[in-house]
Amino acid sequence: MTFARPAILLISLTSITAFAQAPTQPDWAKLQDETMQHYQAVLRIDTRNPPGNETVLAEYLKRVLDKEGIPAQIVGSDPKRSNVVARLKGNGKKRPLLIMGHSDVVTVDEAKWKFPPFSATRDGGYIYGRGTVDDKDNLTASLMTMLLLKRQNVALDRDVIFLSEAGEEGSSGIGIGYMVKDQFPLIDAEYCLAEGGGVVRIGGEVKYATVQTLEKIPRGIELVARGISGHGSVPLKSNAIVHLAGAVAKVGDWRPEVRFNETTGTYFRKLAAISPPDVARYYRDVLSTDPNVRKAADDWLFENEPRHSSMLRTSVSPNIFTGGYRSNVIPSEAKATLDVRALPDEDPAKFLEQVRRVVNDPAVEVRFTGQNERPAGRDARLDNEVYKALEAAGTRVYNATTLPTMSTGATDMAQLRAKGVQCFGIGSATDFEDPPKGFGAHSDQERILENELHRFVRYNWDIITNIVGAK
Amino acid sequence: VKGVEQVAESTAAPGSAGLQACQRPRGSPKRLRHVQSCIALAALALSTPLAQIPPGPDWAAIEDEIMRHFQTVLRLDTSNPPGNEHLAVEYLKQVLDQEGIPAQIFALDPKRPNIVARLKGSGTKRPVLIMAHTDVVTVDAAKWKYPPFSATREGGYVYARGTVDDKDNLTGGLMTMLLLKRQRVPLDRDVIFLAESGEEGNSNFGIQYMVGEHFAQIDAKYCLAEGGGVTRIGGEPRFATVQATEKIPRGIELVATGISGHGSVPLKSNAIVHLAAAVAKVGAWRPDVRFNETSGTYFRRLAAISPPEVATHYRDVLSADPKVRAAADDWLFENEPQHSSMLRTSVSPNIFTGGYRSNVIPSEAKATLDVRMLPDEDPAAFLAQVKQIVNDPAVEVRFGAQNTRPAGVAARVESEPFKAIEAANTRIYNVATLPAMSTFATDMAQLRAKGVQCFGIGPATDLEDGPRGFGMHSDQERLLESELYRFVRFNYDVVVDLARAK
Repeated sequence: MTFARPAILLISLTSITAFAQAPTQPDWAKLQDETMQHYQAVLRIDTRNPPGNETVLAEYLKRVLDKEGIPAQIVGSDPKRSNVVARLKGNGKKRPLLIMGHSDVVTVDEAKWKFPPFSATRDGGYIYGRGTVDDKDNLTASLMTMLLLKRQNVALDRDVIFLSEAGEEGSSGIGIGYMVKDQFPLIDAEYCLAEGGGVVRIGGEVKYATVQTLEKIPRGIELVARGISGHGSVPLKSNAIVHLAGAVAKVGDWRPEVRFNETTGTYFRKLAAISPPDVARYYRDVLSTDPNVRKAADDWLFENEPRHSSMLRTSVSPNIFTGGYRSNVIPSEAKATLDVRALPDEDPAKFLEQVRRVVNDPAVEVRFTGQNERPAGRDARLDNEVYKALEAAGTRVYNATTLPTMSTGATDMAQLRAKGVQCFGIGSATDFEDPPKGFGAHSDQERILENELHRFVRYNWDIITNIVGAK
Repeated sequence: VKGVEQVAESTAAPGSAGLQACQRPRGSPKRLRHVQSCIALAALALSTPLAQIPPGPDWAAIEDEIMRHFQTVLRLDTSNPPGNEHLAVEYLKQVLDQEGIPAQIFALDPKRPNIVARLKGSGTKRPVLIMAHTDVVTVDAAKWKYPPFSATREGGYVYARGTVDDKDNLTGGLMTMLLLKRQRVPLDRDVIFLAESGEEGNSNFGIQYMVGEHFAQIDAKYCLAEGGGVTRIGGEPRFATVQATEKIPRGIELVATGISGHGSVPLKSNAIVHLAAAVAKVGAWRPDVRFNETSGTYFRRLAAISPPEVATHYRDVLSADPKVRAAADDWLFENEPQHSSMLRTSVSPNIFTGGYRSNVIPSEAKATLDVRMLPDEDPAAFLAQVKQIVNDPAVEVRFGAQNTRPAGVAARVESEPFKAIEAANTRIYNVATLPAMSTFATDMAQLRAKGVQCFGIGPATDLEDGPRGFGMHSDQERLLESELYRFVRFNYDVVVDLARAK
């Protein structure tokens, strides 16, 4: 695959951010061991949530920060689930920048892992472990940036606040929820940087960077089938497992309608512009007003680029199915949980009605789970200094153009955006082919390339010094 | 209902009552069937001379004793796993000892023992074994209105796990032993009582252990166990069934594998979705209808004693015309699922497990199908059929490790026990007896494989109870108190008829 366009973009981007203002670069080669040491240390602390136990990690971070002479504070509403905040003071000319990474990770199905999930095993240029790309990469990069800003004595126009929050994976009440509600002065900022974006590699080559400016809203839906219980030797028409399986098969087969917003429209148009023609055509076609053209592109994306498919619509993924407790007993109930990621403008009640129509079975109840929800916030702007710094760093570090995206996953930025903080999601470079092959975030083989971890630390440093460095 | 009266008429008791019934005036619209049944009844009356039946106990006086034993054994939590059948065995031993009946305990696992007691006969004939299992299936306690081990009496019913599987037979067998001893009934053959553990999925501790290691203790010509019963429709007994053969349980597992990932990005390979589609297809599929001698006889006899609007379905399902058969088959599946299962190798998806967190697409999901094969089914060919139905390379279809039962020889209708059961059904329930193939497995399978002629019996239950969620293994398992008492009488009658000195 050949990319013709990035070179043209490169020129226009470099003219925006003058190189002269960048502070002295650290010795990156020498820092690799230190980065790796912190990264492996945090990966090896088992913070799977539930139960979380993020305090163990918080204490590690506090030790490292304290040792560097950066005062760090442990705060939280649950002693086992602490958050850490540290601040580097600036001259106060501008309002602070918050850089954050969550300390918890999703749970693991240990038997499925080739390398133990908390071993942080290095193999073939990769590091394998739960959290490698969600979110201990951001956590390590932010930590390293704090250490380096201090070590290099960088003069700051604004405070830089480091936050490592607990409970991002489903219990944000004790993490960002608590921080925003009870400790907001500690983290109040003009801008924030967190997870949610990234740099996309295809065929091992960096193709473009994404910055998350908007996110979908998670809305769990439960399907509960009820039937008559009885002996398994006598099949019953009302079998709850069979009814629920029928419902899940229908919902799993259904893809809600494609709908664009400003961020996603811009994203696909820009993506089409920098992609090779054989792929670009799908990005253009999916924007078409012709339903047949759009449908063909949509099918292709679902099969080949599922992440893009999810950006087109409110997505539905049936992820849990539980029913029955003994092979010869027909259970009277079975339950499935659908992971629904709603477009920011989706009407929840109407969507639930649509799911009911798809299920179309009176034996199956369809309802929201009541699982924690994120507030809807405003999208970040594409014409401010942060977005420009991100574009410039994307060009300098990755030689890549930057696209604004709506992330399909929820992040802790939702709560901050609701408070008026302009948030931007960034991330390390990962292979586009990895998630469908089972190496993505939350998968059983979550991994990151070692050299991409190191590059991401540089990228972080580059962005932040650009935003906060005294000018 | 009209049909009920017809059945009652045509299956009058043997002896004088039966002969009176045979003298009903001609011209009855049911004359033909009436005549047939009179011939059958006359034959029965000859085979069981009334004069030799010893005086029965005072049934009204022992209802309290029956209920006490029934409730006590129901209140012992023997849900399997783990079983803990020793709780029931200790109680049974104490009761038998108190009555002066020596009882012996045999155990592969001390927590899961079996108990055997024997009343000696003259030895003229080989023994009869009466048996019942002490374990019950597990419960989903939250779903129960009355706690599953409370044995609550409510509205004429007793509610608990085990009320109809199998603590009814256990109580019936126990009471028969106590009464035979108490009434000093002279016996031509030994009567052996066996309460075995692990019937619900771990017969290695129970019948398999007894047959393998202690067969001499239970060796018998005939055996009586669970598996039959009297069917009530609209509150009236309509017919009795005797289990003469049984289907063979074979679990099948479906395992879907896909790519794991974050739930915010739906994947085409989602294991839950693939498995759901497979289970939906298998759940909608009903394998071909196929009859054997027992089930053919059953449906023919059932048609003969049923009211016309129902009989038509029993006859139609035997039809050679595929359309006629399919319509009857659909009706049975909807209205009489137990009969539907007797027509075929049945498939019931009973467990589905996949996923561990709402935002993680799991890489695997698994479903368990409860498959009950016709005795002549070819397992490998059947598995291939399931694969064809599933038709998804992402879903593996394989037999589960769950233990199965050996195939044995069907019990004969032309035999002393069948005739004794038929006679008792006529006397006590005033109903005809049908040989049946049970859809579920019983511990008789192992005994039949050893050449013991086994017959499955049981109390009267409502045909409507199963589909309404009151059947065995359900969350509201129950038995009518009056039917418990009647079943004890029936049990005693059959055993006395078979074993008493003649």
